[in-house]
Amino acid sequence: MRLPRFFGKKRGHRRTGSQAWGSFGEAVFYAALVMAGVCFAGLWITGSLGVGSDEAGLPWARWWLWLSSLLIPGALLAFGIAGLVRIVRGWGKSEERRAAAEGLANLIESMATPADAGRRFPGVPTCEDLVNSPGTILRYRLPIESPESWTLVGLGLFAVLWNAVLMVLAVGAGIDLLGGRVEWLLLAVIVPFLAVGVAGVVVFVRRLFLTTAVGTTQLEISAHPLLPGNSYDVLLAQSGSGTFQSLALTLEVEETASFRQGTDTRTERVIVWRELVKEWTHLQITPGVRFETHVTITIPDGAMHSFASEHNAVRWRVVVAGQPDRWPAFTRVFPLVVFPAAGPLHSGALPLAATGGVRR
Amino acid sequence: MTAYEGANGTARPAMPRVGMQFDRADRVYPPEHCLVGRYEVEGVQHESVRALERSVLWYTEGKGEEDLSVHHFERLDHEPLRAGDFPSGTITVRLPASPLSYEGVIVKIRWCVRIRLFFASGRDFVSEHVFDLGDIAPAPGTVERLT
Amino acid sequence: MTVATPDRAVHNPFCTRHVRPGRIPALDGAGREIDLARVLARLAEIDGSVAIVGPHGSGKTTLLGHLADVLEAEGRCAARVRIGRIGDAVALLAALAQARRGGVICVDSWERLGPIWTHVIRWCAFVARTRLLVTAHGAGPLPTLWECRPTLSVLGAIVARLPCADTGMPPIGEAEVQRAFRDASGNIREALFLLYDAFEARARAVRDATA
Repeated sequence: MRLPRFFGKKRGHRRTGSQAWGSFGEAVFYAALVMAGVCFAGLWITGSLGVGSDEAGLPWARWWLWLSSLLIPGALLAFGIAGLVRIVRGWGKSEERRAAAEGLANLIESMATPADAGRRFPGVPTCEDLVNSPGTILRYRLPIESPESWTLVGLGLFAVLWNAVLMVLAVGAGIDLLGGRVEWLLLAVIVPFLAVGVAGVVVFVRRLFLTTAVGTTQLEISAHPLLPGNSYDVLLAQSGSGTFQSLALTLEVEETASFRQGTDTRTERVIVWRELVKEWTHLQITPGVRFETHVTITIPDGAMHSFASEHNAVRWRVVVAGQPDRWPAFTRVFPLVVFPAAGPLHSGALPLAATGGVRR
Repeated sequence: MTAYEGANGTARPAMPRVGMQFDRADRVYPPEHCLVGRYEVEGVQHESVRALERSVLWYTEGKGEEDLSVHHFERLDHEPLRAGDFPSGTITVRLPASPLSYEGVIVKIRWCVRIRLFFASGRDFVSEHVFDLGDIAPAPGTVERLT
Repeated sequence: MTVATPDRAVHNPFCTRHVRPGRIPALDGAGREIDLARVLARLAEIDGSVAIVGPHGSGKTTLLGHLADVLEAEGRCAARVRIGRIGDAVALLAALAQARRGGVICVDSWERLGPIWTHVIRWCAFVARTRLLVTAHGAGPLPTLWECRPTLSVLGAIVARLPCADTGMPPIGEAEVQRAFRDASGNIREALFLLYDAFEARARAVRDATA
């Protein structure tokens, strides 16, 4: 087995640290955290540090300090395990692909050069993740690029776990107070815990209200991948309640370019073409009854296909933007993949206007 | 092009020139069609060419880090070729279906034929000849900057 | 390298191809090319590891790259490492283990290692008798080899070196360069990106007008 080189040659004399060794280094770091967590937890639980022993009169005898102390190895274990899982999942993948996967936005695979070999359309992302969900009326249901439900679940879990710990500490402090003992250190620990716990609940509840009030947006499409010069049937389904001042469906082309900027990796995103497909104003949505409508989107003849490389991309997407009454505006993005048109050369032009109809 | 004297009085070699003649005058090729290009190397009177590499590749240009993918590559190693004995060459390649050439705003995709000459002195010289794969219209411009 | 292109392609001279570190020379605050021999002479005068300091987009990586080129030619550059994440510390340790005594390891984005790893790496470099030449934003525990200062002269000198004449488009004027420098708050890299946008918009307007 050939070990990966420490340094890979980039261009000319420039080199950079080997990704394989970098990932290995990170794995060692996180494995060390896991080991430290296991060691500390073991020591605490087995009583090697005199935990739970009242006889010695050690501070460790206080149950709440003991519990809080377990949080330290617990945090080490959690952080270390999470890091190892991330390393294993991301092993061998490019930086941009790993970053996109972590953000739940990697619905379009980025094709590195070696994997392009043998493919009919090198440089064009595959759309396997976009065609694995059948629609109820049209052929495919498009996934959303930034699912809000995951954010909601994450916020909820955090609020529940944090406040559970807070409750345990608070009950313990209450019992101590009733027993005539005032544990100032415990009370000092509870105050910041309480602040974070309350903030967590507030943020979660607010997000929950926003999501349920605004409702979900679903998009189905008649075919995928798309081809230039062709039109496609799209079903828009918006749930929620109340009045929407406006609801707009647009078709866009986005260019993405990533570059190292000193110590940061900067990604610039620019919309280079946009067509307003349909807009509804003063839309009344009844709770429990989805607003459903069919629209037609057309990929202009001669338009650029979807493209993805390690640092650059051209992406097509459908964007649904809504402005509900009494709630903040929302934007939901549904990625599309456009393949190159088959056949002989043809000259075409993307419409020059940012909004309006397609020039055929 | 003539040779010139260097700072220490020695004659510096002239810069080589590589001319490329594409079989399509407008250099616009449909996807999955054949590209035929004839190249001529001139101006190498005082050096011997150790090897020649010819490749067809695409690269990105713009505000992002450059990505590159080689579609076709050949290396021709010969005995040191003296000036005047350099062969005209023809490169024939079946082009792929994608990615098509694209004039974007912050992302551009360019296809080219690259001829690289390696000299016995250790120098090398690269000549790039861009062509278009497909006939995609340039992006209209910036509608909105997201980041 | 020579490039021949079809008529409709517009090469933006401010694209990363032309402005990335290594493509433009290292310039001092007056816009003159830095005498690398002088900098290396100063490196020889200072014991131990040293730093090239300067704010964002001031040319630290560019200068480091050029110095590394010279050191490599002299056989003194043991490795070049760019720190992107904490795992690169292991790669750096491996480089130290493999480096010859007296060699120099060039490290870009030194501060990304964090305070613990920087101390560990410095100690390892000391033990290995290897020197570190790093880039950092501010003067820290390492002595300063060179301080990069982003000035309008530097930006002007960079623009003068770019292949603007090859594009067939009207050149970028001094006023535009000044505006970009001001809008970028002195960050040379940002200013170059702003000039990219300005050039691109102008090239498109010219192309649309002539189409």
